[in-house]
Parts: sequence; C-alpha cells; structure tokens
Amino acid sequence: MAHIQLNFYSQSMQRNEDVIIFLPTVSADDYLEGSDIHYGTKNAKYQVLYLLHGSYGDCTDWSRFTGVERYAQDKTLAVVMPSGENSNYLNMAYGENYETYLTEELPAFLTKIFPISKKREDTFIAGLSMGGFGSLHSALKKPELYGYVASLSGALDLQLLSNGTEAHTTKMSKSFRKAIFEDSNRITDSDADLLHLLENNIADKKELPRIFMACGTEDFIYPTNENFYKKAQEMGVAIEYLRAPGVHNWDFWDAHIKDVLDWLPCRHDLVIE
Amino acid sequence: MAFMQCNFFSPVLNFNTNINVFIPTPNSDEILNNKKSDYFQEGVKFQVLYLLHGAYGDYSDWLRLTSIEKYAQNHKIAVVMPSASNSFYQNMYKGSEYLTFMNEELPKFVQSIFPVSEKREDTFVAGLSMGGYGAVKLAFEKPEQFAACVSLSGAIDLISVAKQAREGEFASPFLWNSIFENPDNIEGTDADLFALAKKKIALGHKLPKVFQTVGTEDFIYEANVSAKEKMENIGVDLTYEEYPGIHDWDFWDTYIQRALDWLPLKNDSVEVD
Repeated sequence: MAHIQLNFYSQSMQRNEDVIIFLPTVSADDYLEGSDIHYGTKNAKYQVLYLLHGSYGDCTDWSRFTGVERYAQDKTLAVVMPSGENSNYLNMAYGENYETYLTEELPAFLTKIFPISKKREDTFIAGLSMGGFGSLHSALKKPELYGYVASLSGALDLQLLSNGTEAHTTKMSKSFRKAIFEDSNRITDSDADLLHLLENNIADKKELPRIFMACGTEDFIYPTNENFYKKAQEMGVAIEYLRAPGVHNWDFWDAHIKDVLDWLPCRHDLVIE
Repeated sequence: MAFMQCNFFSPVLNFNTNINVFIPTPNSDEILNNKKSDYFQEGVKFQVLYLLHGAYGDYSDWLRLTSIEKYAQNHKIAVVMPSASNSFYQNMYKGSEYLTFMNEELPKFVQSIFPVSEKREDTFVAGLSMGGYGAVKLAFEKPEQFAACVSLSGAIDLISVAKQAREGEFASPFLWNSIFENPDNIEGTDADLFALAKKKIALGHKLPKVFQTVGTEDFIYEANVSAKEKMENIGVDLTYEEYPGIHDWDFWDTYIQRALDWLPLKNDSVEVD
C-alpha cells in the first residue's frame, strides 16, 4: 500500500483539508511471494472505499486504531479517509459544507489526481457511528454515485440523538449541534432523516445502493439500529444486517470492517479500462 | 498545491520509503489574487521536478527549509522529493540500490499514481550538494528520461570533493567504503560524472541540459569551478552562474527559484488524455 497523507485547499470548505489515502501498490508480501495483481498498468483504476470516522475523531482514526490498511491490501482496494469534524457529514446550517465536500468535491478532486474508478459499481462508502450515518446519508443523497454503503454502529437517528439525555448524546457541545441544524427539533422528515431519504428514493424510483449494517448487541446505539432496520424492512428495502456481540468501540469496528470488505464486490485487482 | 506525504514499500530498496509530492491544484492565493486557476482539469498531467536532498537530509528537507511549494505553484510544476540517505545516489557497494530506485522504480511508481507527464521534455531533476551531484548523475545515467538537470552547490566533481572530505577539510557522513568498492579509484567509473558524460556522448546520447550554480564563499566553490571547466571541455550544454553565498538553505531557497526560471517550464498543465 502507498499510505498517502494529502493536504489540499478545498473550495467547498474554503480552507485546507487533510485526507488519508491508501492506494494498493506492491507490498512486501507481494514481493516475497509474488503477485498477479496488475499494479501500475496504464489506465488501470482502483475500486475505492470512502471510509468515515465517528464523532470526536478525524481522518487519522481508521489507520491508527484498526488494521484496515492490511485488509484493503488483501482486496486491492483504495481507501479514502476524510475528516468530517462533528458535522455528521452534513452541510451545516451555520458552518462548513461537509456534504458537498464529501459527495461532490472530494470524488471529483481525487479522481483527477489518482487512478480511482468513477464507476458506481466500484465506488463504496462506509463509516462508524457518526460516519455510519454519514455513509448512508451520502449514499442516499447521491445513489447514482455509490454502488454500496455500509454502516457500523451507525448513529442512524439524529432526532433521537439530539433529544437524548444519555451521556453519549449530551457530551457533544450544544453550540456545535446548534450550528449543524437550523432547528434541531425538526430533523425528522428533513434531509438529515435517513428513513425520509429512503422513502424519497423509493418514491422517485431511484436505484438504491446495496446496504450493509452491523451493530453490537451491547452497544447503546443497538436499539436505534434495530429500529432503522425494522422501518427499512417495512419499506421493502433489502439490507444485509449483522448483529454481533460487542459495544461501541474499536474492537468491534476493527473486527467488522473486515465483514464490510468481504461483503463488498472487490475484484482483488485493479480495474482495467 | 495538493501536498502529499506518501509512504510505500520499495522492492528495489527492500524497505518502506517516504516521498513528499506536490501536485498543482487551485489554492487560496489564486482566489485572493485573481490568478490563473483553470489548469487543473480532467485528464491533465504536469511537468515534474524530482528534487533531491543533500547529506544528512531526507525527503522532508526541501519542504521544511525552503518555500519550494510556493515557487512550484507559480510554475504549475509537480515536485517529487525522495530520500536517499547518505548514499550519494549510488547503487552502494555495501548498502542499498539508490540509483536504481531513483531512476527506475521511483518514476514508474510516481507515474502510476500521480498525474505527471512521462515525456522527456517535461521531466527534470534538481538537488543540492550531494543531491546536486545526484541530479546530474541521474540525468546523465538516463539522458533519454530527463530534459534538464540542476545542481545547487553540488558535489559534481566527486573525486576532488571526496578527497577534500576524506582529508577532513569539511565534515561529512559518507561511508566511502560502503558506497564504493574502491573509493580511491572512482576516476573513470560511472560515478565520475565527466567520464559518464563522455561515455554517453560517445554512445550517441543527447545529454540533458545542465544548470550549475554555487556560492562564491562555499567550501565547495573551487570544486564547482573545476567541474564547470571539465563539463565545458566535454561539450555539455551548461549554464553556470555563481553568486555570493555559502553552503546553506538561504542560498538554496534563493537559487532554486532561479533554477525554476531557467528550466524550460510551460507554467501550465501539459497534457490531456
């Protein structure tokens, strides 16, 4: 893997942004054991996974706390890890345009600089907690861009979180929450309501991305995931749902990001165009 | 500029290595000062400068100790900064194969990942001190790959510089017996740039153009004057300039700008697929 720390001026954010990127290149294992992978083939492109961190985190989290570089190398999959601050990857009412950055500028920018496929069937998005929400939100706002989406321990109901009184919901600074939403009492049925977005896509007869969810059965966010799954089922949305023992921590995400990669249609090679 | 720190496994070096890379992309200066920013388009490639560090240094030196990013942005040229330890950019007798890495593996790697032109007319190499030698060495070894090379305060006259260093006239970290099989007999080998130039000319190659500059108070000044005379006698297409200055980053930060003005730059992206 080439491990790339990218810093560039983002037009949609109006400031510099950091992104961590893995691009599959010859590894020490490939060198020692040989490899049939077409690294460096002219015009070959990588399948790509946009991988989102959770609240309180940034673009460095996934590479620091999991083995995702190793897992992605085994799949010959490029991984792009942006920073979303605590924005839920939304265009904030009083703040930065994270949704535009993540779903418009970043794919356009990266496919110009790197050999990354632009095809829907090769473009995936996943994340944990706030990033699980962000992944589904991005994929449901732009179903034409992402073929596959996965949420780990996703914060899938922002209204519930916003109204919550548990420690994990009240630790987030109130002023920051106020910056995200025009009115944090009216998230339901807005563009930040995933079930609402699902309904809209179905009504518009859009082709939905394939959806994978996993959640720990001891996680505080498990009931939210159960509820989302049940509601989506009632709408007739097919979701691959994995319930597994575990809580809201990196042990869970390190273990189950592997399930996400196994579920994705990875070609184990570059895409020769 | 997009700034990228990239870590990857090198099968030639047999270890992970770092490069810093700049790719011209729109920045705040272009917004604030209404400068040209239409060069970053789908399918573009950039002219590229491989920029080499000196003794005691690594891939981070140029970025940290000069404003190369700003100068390269103005010229719309990509910059690649690798690490060569204290190898004098040689395939070491006892050590790693830095020459093969620099001239074979690195360009292929860079071209496979980043949008840089593969054409000779768009490919340049520059360096300071040991890297000034390295720049001329890489360019003369592969005259078909580089249109021009730049030596700032370079140890181009390796034989006299090595003699000075080994006699303790200035401090140096070079393990001469590890770099060369016979450090007393460099003359006439491919490490002797004048012999290398003669050999390549005799083989019918068109040598890259050379820009050579040195500070008149530099301890390496005399060796540069002798190198200039030798290259002129051989018939190298040489531009030589000397300025007040010593062997330090003030000199290199100033005269890398002069070098960029001298190089045949298009000051724009160069290719659309």
